[in-house]
Amino acid sequence: MSDAYGTDSALVEGRSSAFERASALAVGLGFLAFVFSWATLFRITPPTAELLGVTLYDLLGLGLVVVGVIVLGLGIASRTDIVTTTPSDTGGVAAASAFGLAALVGVGLVVSQTLGLGTIVWLPVALLAGAATAAAVVGAREDIGATIPAGVLAVGVGLAFLTNVIGPDWVWSPTDLAASFHAPVVVPLLTIFCSLVVAWPAAKASAGFGSRGRQTGAYLLIGINTFSILAILVLLITFVAMQGLPKLTDGLEIGLDGFAWPFVMNVSSGIYIDIPGVLPAILGTAWLVVGAVVFAVPLGVGAALFLTEYADEGGFTRIVEIATNGLWSTPSIVFGLFGYAFLVPRFGTTTSLFAGILVLGFMLLPLVLITSREAIISVPDEYRDASAALGVSQWQTIRSVVLPASIPGIVTGVILGVGRIAGETAPILVVMAGSPFPNSTPNVLGSFAFTTTPPFVTNDALLTSASALPYQLYATITAGVGATDVEAFGWGTALVLLLVVLSFYAIGIATRAYFRRKLRYE
Amino acid sequence: MSTIPERWLPGSLGDRAADTDRSALAAGAIGALLLAGVAVGFLIQSSLTAVFLLGFLVVVGFGWYAHQAQTAKALTFLATTFTVAVMGLIIVFLFREAWPVFELMGLDLVTRITTGETGLWNTAESVYSLTPMIWGTVVTTILAMAIAGPLGIASAVFIAEIAPGWLRDIVKPGVEILAGIPSIVYGWLGFIVINGYFSRSDTFDLASNGSLIVAGMVIGLMALPTVVSVAEDALTSIPESMKSGSLALGSTEWQTTMGITIPAAFSGVSAAVLLGVGRAVGETMAVTVILANVTDFPGPLFDVFDNTITLTSMIANQYGVAQGLHLSALFAAGVVLFITVLFLSIGSQLIEERMERNLGGNQ
Repeated sequence: MSDAYGTDSALVEGRSSAFERASALAVGLGFLAFVFSWATLFRITPPTAELLGVTLYDLLGLGLVVVGVIVLGLGIASRTDIVTTTPSDTGGVAAASAFGLAALVGVGLVVSQTLGLGTIVWLPVALLAGAATAAAVVGAREDIGATIPAGVLAVGVGLAFLTNVIGPDWVWSPTDLAASFHAPVVVPLLTIFCSLVVAWPAAKASAGFGSRGRQTGAYLLIGINTFSILAILVLLITFVAMQGLPKLTDGLEIGLDGFAWPFVMNVSSGIYIDIPGVLPAILGTAWLVVGAVVFAVPLGVGAALFLTEYADEGGFTRIVEIATNGLWSTPSIVFGLFGYAFLVPRFGTTTSLFAGILVLGFMLLPLVLITSREAIISVPDEYRDASAALGVSQWQTIRSVVLPASIPGIVTGVILGVGRIAGETAPILVVMAGSPFPNSTPNVLGSFAFTTTPPFVTNDALLTSASALPYQLYATITAGVGATDVEAFGWGTALVLLLVVLSFYAIGIATRAYFRRKLRYE
Repeated sequence: MSTIPERWLPGSLGDRAADTDRSALAAGAIGALLLAGVAVGFLIQSSLTAVFLLGFLVVVGFGWYAHQAQTAKALTFLATTFTVAVMGLIIVFLFREAWPVFELMGLDLVTRITTGETGLWNTAESVYSLTPMIWGTVVTTILAMAIAGPLGIASAVFIAEIAPGWLRDIVKPGVEILAGIPSIVYGWLGFIVINGYFSRSDTFDLASNGSLIVAGMVIGLMALPTVVSVAEDALTSIPESMKSGSLALGSTEWQTTMGITIPAAFSGVSAAVLLGVGRAVGETMAVTVILANVTDFPGPLFDVFDNTITLTSMIANQYGVAQGLHLSALFAAGVVLFITVLFLSIGSQLIEERMERNLGGNQ
């Protein structure tokens, strides 16, 4: 068995293991340079860092030169048939356009900026260089077309770093742009670009070029892309957590003599408040969520039931679908404007918690409708048929068969929807917000009052402005973050907001995974 | 009682006519009248609205007790109409509030580009031209989609075609959580961290009040999850048999992806990009805190390191001080946003429908 596989791979690939190892080394070094440049860009490694007496930029340059030389070697070894590979006859359109574009931009920048020649010169020269590179890549055999330009680029950029053509004090200030480009961002960005450009043909070489080589190369780039997105997510959350934790745990006491958590349990301003907290904002967000769910979920589920169980496909369903998708994609600030024009004048002419609840309810409605509809549609028709065959009426079937079966999907949709509206700022800003740092909490339950004239029930707490976590963060920004205290307060608020919203998402995703697994294995 | 529902018997008029007796009809009529009263009362801000609402609730209570099936059907129908009504109300109120400034400026509102003496946006002189904000929105959207488009589609390909099951179970929720991070948190990070980074003297040496490129980058990150999830849905909806055919002919998986899956899912993928554009256009809070309140075109038009407000951030920035025509101009910005996004939404819907038809219906 294993022998058969061995000869098989030898027949198909037929490359020496040194070639494979060299290409793997190039990919690895390229990836290392990629990660290292990001660390440099984010200042995790300071620009002045040295390793064994070599400065950071020289190190990056050295890395690029080494990888570039390896890739050049790979291409030449393959072309001169020192190793057997299976390259295509052409470098490929993707490589041609990538390298052509790189040559166009690079030559254009050098001619126009370094040599200082006008548009009449640099534009044709750049276009010519780009076209020539692209044509050469298309015309050459794949092993040469893919490797040589990448290797030349990496070696060239690496040498520029090593010879201090682009040194630590290098700067480029174009006249037309407000920005000037300094070495501490240009060097890492160039390294990131070159490392990707050079790892790509190395990955192709590791699978012996040809269609399998292109697959390996493409998978490498796509994999790095996805890895980077996840890394950004993790970095983002960790960063907010690290910045926010000191404020969040400021004065935290858990002991026998009581429990105190000032940042979560204090109001945001007041004479007797040592550590301003976000309690009003937390309660505001809680009431918003409860109110919006009570308002929107029955409507959304009801509409979903009507569309799936009662209505026939036709003009009306079509209109409802357009309206729902329109509502779903309407920008949140437009909902805010609508609330400002429609709701605020009708509920006491001031910004109010109730207006906020209704506007967020309007935003939640399409989310609930869409997810509930999907959940109800996914209930198998056999359930309905079996119920009908037993002589059960349509409404009874819906109530005791369809709805219970679709509850998991509906609940998941609602939780994810709530996670989204809990973080909404723009509509709240317009229809609900009042004092940026409130000194009292909304007392909704205690404010119900009954009157003998219409509207019979009033609630002052619902009809006055309130804060909410996202608005609290915005208020911190508008209040000015010059003072360290305010910035720390902002980080703490951001962390609390992130925790609230992400726990909704975590619960929603976990619920969905649980029910999916249950359905799959039952 | 017969075990066969009456509406299945020959000569029945269908369930509605057959099952409904007089009291249900009467309750329905009274309920409809009261609801109309609620709607009218609310629109003209009458204090009688509550009376009508109370009456309606009583009728619904009676209906639920006496004719549950019909009441339930009627209520679900009302919920459906309510959704459409909300959409209608948004359109009516946006246009109504925006009308005065449109009367003043005419088409100049969205087409004037010559600055003149008064500038393009001058509340003291009552000159309102939305072109700088539209340009700001266009530039940030292009920057955002330059990030979210390719990276989002690549991630969708990764999830749908490349990743093994366990990795997919990590990446998919990860992308969803990325969508869940509130826009104000992105804004806070952009405002404190990225703006600060870009204004350092050893990076880009910009003014500290933000630039279009920072806004574009942040919006790109925010639009990314939309593109990923919709494009991934489109890619996974391609029937397995199409891919198998290609694989059986000896193509590599990547050739199959590029030659079969992506072309077949092309319309779905472009719908994903359209929806991403919609998200980017409508993004508000992050842009509001990152960009300064600059109502002019950027230095040279293409200078992405300069500062120009977008439609959304202008509304969020200025609504607090706006009165009369100024407020109306902000509503006009809302109208422009609303129409743009509505067209994107309908466009992507049409594209998705075409894809479903072409692939022979939903799987």
